[in-house]
Amino acid sequence: MSKKVIINPVTRISGFLEIEVEIKNGRIVDANSSGMLFRGFEKMLRGRPPLDAIYFTERICGICSTAHSMGSTLALEEAFNVVPDENNKMIRDFMHGCEFIQNHLRHTYQYTMPDYVKGPDINPVYSVEHNDFRLPEAINKRIASNYLTSFKYSRMAHEMLAELGGKVPHTHGIFVGGTTVNMDISKYLKVKYLLAQIRDFVENAMLEDIYTIAHYYPECFNYGKGYGNLMSYGCFDIYLQPQRFYVSPKVMIDGKIKEFDPQRVTENIEYAWYKSDLESLKPLDEEPEADRFKKDAYSWIKAPRYKELPMEVGPLARLWLSGNYNRGISTMDRTIARVLETKKIIEIMTSLLEGIRLEPANQDQYVVPKEAKGKGLIDTTRGSLGHWLSIDEQEIFHYTIITPTAWNLSPKDSMGNRGTIEQALIATKIEDINNPLEIGRTVRSFDPCVSCATHVIGEYNTLKIRIV
Amino acid sequence: MVNLALETRNNKEKIPLIWLETCGCSGNIISLMDADDPDIVYFLREMVDLTYNNSLMAAEGEAAYEKFLNTLDKEFILVIEGAISIKDEGLYNVIARYKDRLITGMEAALKAGEKAKYVISMGTCASYGGISAAAPNPSQCISVNEHLNKKTILLPGCPGHPDWVIGTIGHLIAFGIPELDEEGRPIIFYGITIHDNCTRRSYFDERVFASKLGEKECMFRLGCRGPITKADCPIIRWNDTDNWPIGVNTPCIGCTQRGFPDGMEPFVRY
Repeated sequence: MSKKVIINPVTRISGFLEIEVEIKNGRIVDANSSGMLFRGFEKMLRGRPPLDAIYFTERICGICSTAHSMGSTLALEEAFNVVPDENNKMIRDFMHGCEFIQNHLRHTYQYTMPDYVKGPDINPVYSVEHNDFRLPEAINKRIASNYLTSFKYSRMAHEMLAELGGKVPHTHGIFVGGTTVNMDISKYLKVKYLLAQIRDFVENAMLEDIYTIAHYYPECFNYGKGYGNLMSYGCFDIYLQPQRFYVSPKVMIDGKIKEFDPQRVTENIEYAWYKSDLESLKPLDEEPEADRFKKDAYSWIKAPRYKELPMEVGPLARLWLSGNYNRGISTMDRTIARVLETKKIIEIMTSLLEGIRLEPANQDQYVVPKEAKGKGLIDTTRGSLGHWLSIDEQEIFHYTIITPTAWNLSPKDSMGNRGTIEQALIATKIEDINNPLEIGRTVRSFDPCVSCATHVIGEYNTLKIRIV
Repeated sequence: MVNLALETRNNKEKIPLIWLETCGCSGNIISLMDADDPDIVYFLREMVDLTYNNSLMAAEGEAAYEKFLNTLDKEFILVIEGAISIKDEGLYNVIARYKDRLITGMEAALKAGEKAKYVISMGTCASYGGISAAAPNPSQCISVNEHLNKKTILLPGCPGHPDWVIGTIGHLIAFGIPELDEEGRPIIFYGITIHDNCTRRSYFDERVFASKLGEKECMFRLGCRGPITKADCPIIRWNDTDNWPIGVNTPCIGCTQRGFPDGMEPFVRY
């Protein structure tokens, strides 16, 4: 006896996602994930002024817009042959850190906690859809109260970012050459003060809250592992001071940690709704044509692969690859890693502030090269983000973006390998088939951002709806 | 229990709100979470009964979509963020699956838009198509007004400022529809251009211009769209700071304006 369960919308993530699983003898035996939003940024970018890529690609995602400003700026700097000075790099990394904090606070409290904690009694958080709330009343009350308090601290993280970047979402201050902000004592003190307050909440409330959840939901350590292959493009990795250093580009395959080689990144389209003479595409290859009737395909998200393998990216991958965590790989480990990483990033940012000098921005009148190529590979909140662009006649020609969520939420490939989240769902024991909470808990442990993953678009005429 | 009863009664008295995300980036709901004085907690506790928003709601799957359906029979406010993708009958933006049928953003917007007491188009994508409709507009995005074929309250901005939407909803609750301009924007927020109130206006008047980002003078010659962009950013600033894009020595890119982004590029002109 097998049963199919479909969840759509998977709420408390960014964007629109459908998860379909097949459950047999109480366990998940197959899983498909489908992104449900398409906009087509890569096609929009062709012909635009290259410098506009920063503010333009930010708008792929309202949650991780700073990530895209980092990726696009790094790609442009390679293409323009511009190297920012160390002070500019530190300010820019500090700004990127603000987004890590804001995203992790928000995802942990607003998006993850309602899976485990009965929310404060205000709509739309309060829910009686299921009864697997195990916390004693007083503890539940404490965490539900922190759910509300956390809004303040994630807001403060954005306040720091706006102090240096002008506004957020879609900040302005990150640009070719580093930043545009003229660092002064007022800005410096303000972000230092805000960071200290956030640090207090993270170290004294958030850490305890997540370990409490882990204590009452111990079975979440036993599922959601997936392949266990991890990857990071590196971030906060240009500093010699150990307290500023986080993780350099690395991969772990079959338990062995190795250097990351950017030449080995490809996208497989076997089970995605695209057709091409190539089964496997490299960044800056011509976009494949869409084919919605392609046999057996089931997703608009392409399948990024490293050495033909699906990889997990994100906070747990980074902590593991940098030697900061080794308890295990599971739904709960991933959820805890996000909180531990928040603490780690705050420590790095605190150290960056000790190095940042009060100096004006180091901007220039940039001349767009006639022809050039560039890539910007960096680990961002959700994992490894890559921007690749080519410039022709001073305009953008090709632009390829491979997002962290595409790595985690990819479909199967021509080798038959499932995507990372699909594999993480396999073999999970479902306690109550009418309320398969384990699915949402595992999916959310990856903090998927479907707005990012499905930015690529193709042409198709009709759509055949799968009836299950 | 008394508290719970009070809360429940409050929820009944407050006007229900559906915050529907369609073809966009979810940046406006994130911007709402950045609100301060009042903040989102006050907004949810005291001002509205938010029955449906996919980013925040605890429920998922069909149970989540049922909360959307159950709101339609009441008197409610509808906020739509995101443009409406109409390509292939809306299947580029599916927001739910209900009883084995895919529900598109196009269908949900129409269903709720016909019944809502007030409809707010939040952000530039909902107001004008925005970046979702940027050329060559691969998903055939249109504005909410075009889709519903009626005039909604427009709160453009990429993203919209939280004060604009909380202020507008506060006005709807206490005083009815605020005074709107010919496009449907509340005059209190969009009455004058960025340029009119710009902190660098004196440089412009003296014809002193910045030659690159990072400088303190007027950025008109770098492509600043302040002169043609209506919004009160110079007054209210962003994210609880005294800062805004001009404050970090970058030009206004006209993100609240019809025609953004295609008509506003290049964002930075050298």
